[in-house]
Amino acid sequence: MTELVQTLVLSLLVGGIYALVASGLTLIFGVMRVINIAHGAFLILGAFITYTLWDQLGLDPLVGVVVTTPIVFVIGWVIYRLLVRPIRHAPMSSTVLLTFGLALVTEGVMGFVWGNDSTSIRPSYVDESYHLGSIFLPKAQVYGGLLAILVLVALWLILTKTWLGRAIRAAAANPASAELVGIKVTSVAAVVFGLGLAAAGAGGAITGVLYPFLPGSHYLWIARLLAIVVLGGLGSLEGAVISALVFGIAETVTAVYISPAWATAVPYAIVFAVLLIRPQGLLGTRLRDDAVAA
Amino acid sequence: MSAATSEAPPETRRGFDLIWVGRLVAFAAAVLLVLYPMISDDLYYQNMIILSLVFAIAASGLSIITGLAGYVSLGQGAFIGLGGYTVGVLATKHPDTNVWLWMPLAGVVAGLVALVLGFVALRARGPSFVIITVAFLFLVQVIAINWRSLSGGTEGLSLPIPTWDADIANWPFYYSLVGILALQLLLVWWIRRTKLGTGLVAIREDETKAATIGINLPVEKMIAFVASSVLVGVAGGVYGYYLTFIDPRGMFNILLSVETMLALLVGGKATLWGPVLGAFIVEPLNEYANNDLGGGNTKLLIFGGLLVLIVLFLPQGVLPAVESAINWLRTRGKAGLVGARIGTGGSLAPLTDKLSLVDREAVSDPPPLLEVTDLRKAFGGLKAVDGASLVVPEGSITGLIGPNGSGKTTLFNLIDNTIHADGGEIRLAGERIDGLSSWSRAHRGLGRTFQITRLFREMTVLENVVAAQRSFSWGQLGRIAVSGAEARAAEELLEYVGMRAFRDQKAKALSFGQQKLVELAQVLMLDPKLILLDEPAGGINPVLIDRMSEMIRELNSYGKTFLIVEHNMPFVLGLCDPVHVLGRGRTMASGTPSEIQKDPAVVDAYLGDDFVLEAGQATAPADVPQEATS
Repeated sequence: MTELVQTLVLSLLVGGIYALVASGLTLIFGVMRVINIAHGAFLILGAFITYTLWDQLGLDPLVGVVVTTPIVFVIGWVIYRLLVRPIRHAPMSSTVLLTFGLALVTEGVMGFVWGNDSTSIRPSYVDESYHLGSIFLPKAQVYGGLLAILVLVALWLILTKTWLGRAIRAAAANPASAELVGIKVTSVAAVVFGLGLAAAGAGGAITGVLYPFLPGSHYLWIARLLAIVVLGGLGSLEGAVISALVFGIAETVTAVYISPAWATAVPYAIVFAVLLIRPQGLLGTRLRDDAVAA
Repeated sequence: MSAATSEAPPETRRGFDLIWVGRLVAFAAAVLLVLYPMISDDLYYQNMIILSLVFAIAASGLSIITGLAGYVSLGQGAFIGLGGYTVGVLATKHPDTNVWLWMPLAGVVAGLVALVLGFVALRARGPSFVIITVAFLFLVQVIAINWRSLSGGTEGLSLPIPTWDADIANWPFYYSLVGILALQLLLVWWIRRTKLGTGLVAIREDETKAATIGINLPVEKMIAFVASSVLVGVAGGVYGYYLTFIDPRGMFNILLSVETMLALLVGGKATLWGPVLGAFIVEPLNEYANNDLGGGNTKLLIFGGLLVLIVLFLPQGVLPAVESAINWLRTRGKAGLVGARIGTGGSLAPLTDKLSLVDREAVSDPPPLLEVTDLRKAFGGLKAVDGASLVVPEGSITGLIGPNGSGKTTLFNLIDNTIHADGGEIRLAGERIDGLSSWSRAHRGLGRTFQITRLFREMTVLENVVAAQRSFSWGQLGRIAVSGAEARAAEELLEYVGMRAFRDQKAKALSFGQQKLVELAQVLMLDPKLILLDEPAGGINPVLIDRMSEMIRELNSYGKTFLIVEHNMPFVLGLCDPVHVLGRGRTMASGTPSEIQKDPAVVDAYLGDDFVLEAGQATAPADVPQEATS
């Protein structure tokens, strides 16, 4: 029983981190119909930047989020302007291939800069735990999970309470009409791409403390993230959050009670099952493709 | 690649010559490829060619689903791995059997797995499908790692060392791959020129629309998936044997899929030879990166960078770029017909040679051709169609009017299954068709045009018209895409709608009104009993509107029944009888045009009380029997 409670609490904390990163991915899809295959690569990039800040300057990795996130935001903004914007009207498969190429380039660059060995960020508290009765909660997981939830709430506030947020939602709902009421959709899209990647970067800073990583880890992450957003319904923020939590639990439970080797198969199995049974995901709605958005 | 035409003006000569230069180059390359191992025993280049051949086969297979059918797959490399593992597992379990005997089985396994993947793809399109293929690749890899008793896990499998003479050590691999590539190219060439190929391109251009003109989506997609993988599996088997050692990280490496995709994109995804050319560009580049640039990260930069650059700057690939340059040289200064008046006339021979004129006055009480009963469809909380019922009498031109958002187009979509109905009954000529697929409905005599025309933009006008498939049979899929008889029939229909002069133009080059006419011809090619027209007079000029109603009347006199959605009241009320009025997803009134105009509910909801039809236009006979269903 204790083990189960501990497993559940830990998987919810992990789920919070997944939710943060996946919300960036689903936000990008929702606004510009781009599936950013490079999302996992930018998560790892966030982890490496955090590692350098910690290793060279002694900055606490979780505090480092404040630095890492803006850096990744700017990278995302520039990438949208230079690479994604020119093909924003091309078929979706073009942007998939483009962002896939971007993921490979990012992986290669990280390999050159930081090497292809497994890297970990180990602040002083990484081996300490909180004890609540008989439950062990590693401090890093608690801090990381809470921080992820904090950033997620900040993202949610931006989307619901600010003019920018309204512009983003308008651009997602109907780009042409958003233009008509004075929203510059490509500018909004650049900001969204930056925000989405920044969420991945923040998630990378957090997970870098929890798990070792190397440039090639991004495949594992993108598989996991795609599974989450597909399960939640592509483009649905609430769906991504809920399915991230579900996913965190499913993965941890498989690893604890079945075998860690098969836990890596969970995301792929979920993708198959969801797309077969309910292609629109948990909260996604099927688009009406008969009505044309004017 | 369409070669020269019969009437060749001087400058066509050059294009003509260039085509032959291309063929000559291809032939010389093939000869060189076959002779190379005999000329040179340089193992470095033999190895490079062997690997290029594997990728050429994989990319050529991929061109069937990605190039023709438009399904982008990042999991194509998995079929190389599956083939390699099939041979690897069987060869280690049966060490005394000749390894070559297992090669066909590698193809069978790849084909069966492709069938499963294709089954998933029946429901997932676009981005979902790409995600599926990545998940598929990783799932196969995880299984190969964890199913240790079969695959040997991460340690991999060692295959028997070849026993033949070391002087010709590579020859069996080399020549069997050349043979497989030849078969693969033959397969793609054959598919491209059959009905199957046209169907796949239609699926790529607009899958929903393809279904409405009778293309059997699941069958065509399944065949495409199997065809894209079987020979790749065999090549994977040869590749595994050539390597003599296989492991999950190598055989199911996503970079194999990336390289395959790159080969396809570089060469030209919708061409026959592009994937081969691409493979022979990308694989030597890969070797160069591995041997001279340190491999690993450099390779990632090159592959990733190439992928980005191709998508941004050369989305069509090398061969199509060359081809369009040649075409530009050929057709410079003699662009097609722009703004020409749309011709009129032409006969209805392809339709009428089987039919006789129907005297509608003689049929006193026509049976219903289409009966819709209590049809329902909700989008979330919005009830777009909420218990609509109507009858279209055989031989009639029935109108369907109603305010915007009253559910007219949705009703059309439900009738031809572009959208699945939530409930209700649809009968065509007495037979229940709800529950049938769009293509089965088309085969039973239902044709439909769209409010916003949906032609296959990258096909020519003629190809668009012959893409329609009146019936389904397995044998038909293998028939040549455009037979002489079909081309003649299509040209007659194009002549009839006045678009024959445009037959070789791409559909995307046409104006909206012209597209409406071509779409009508396309639907007529199905020889349907009932034609649903969604706003035939919307967005086209008045002369064309008159021509449109003339054609509808004429087709009607040859026995075609129409159901027409239209907002142009003089057009509807002058042409249609009976007229159904839809309001809030229900049939609120039905009757003759004059009855409808007087119906207070209709006037209130739709026409407005100042509606007066100009004299002389409401010429509908009032004595035609009614099927009132309200």
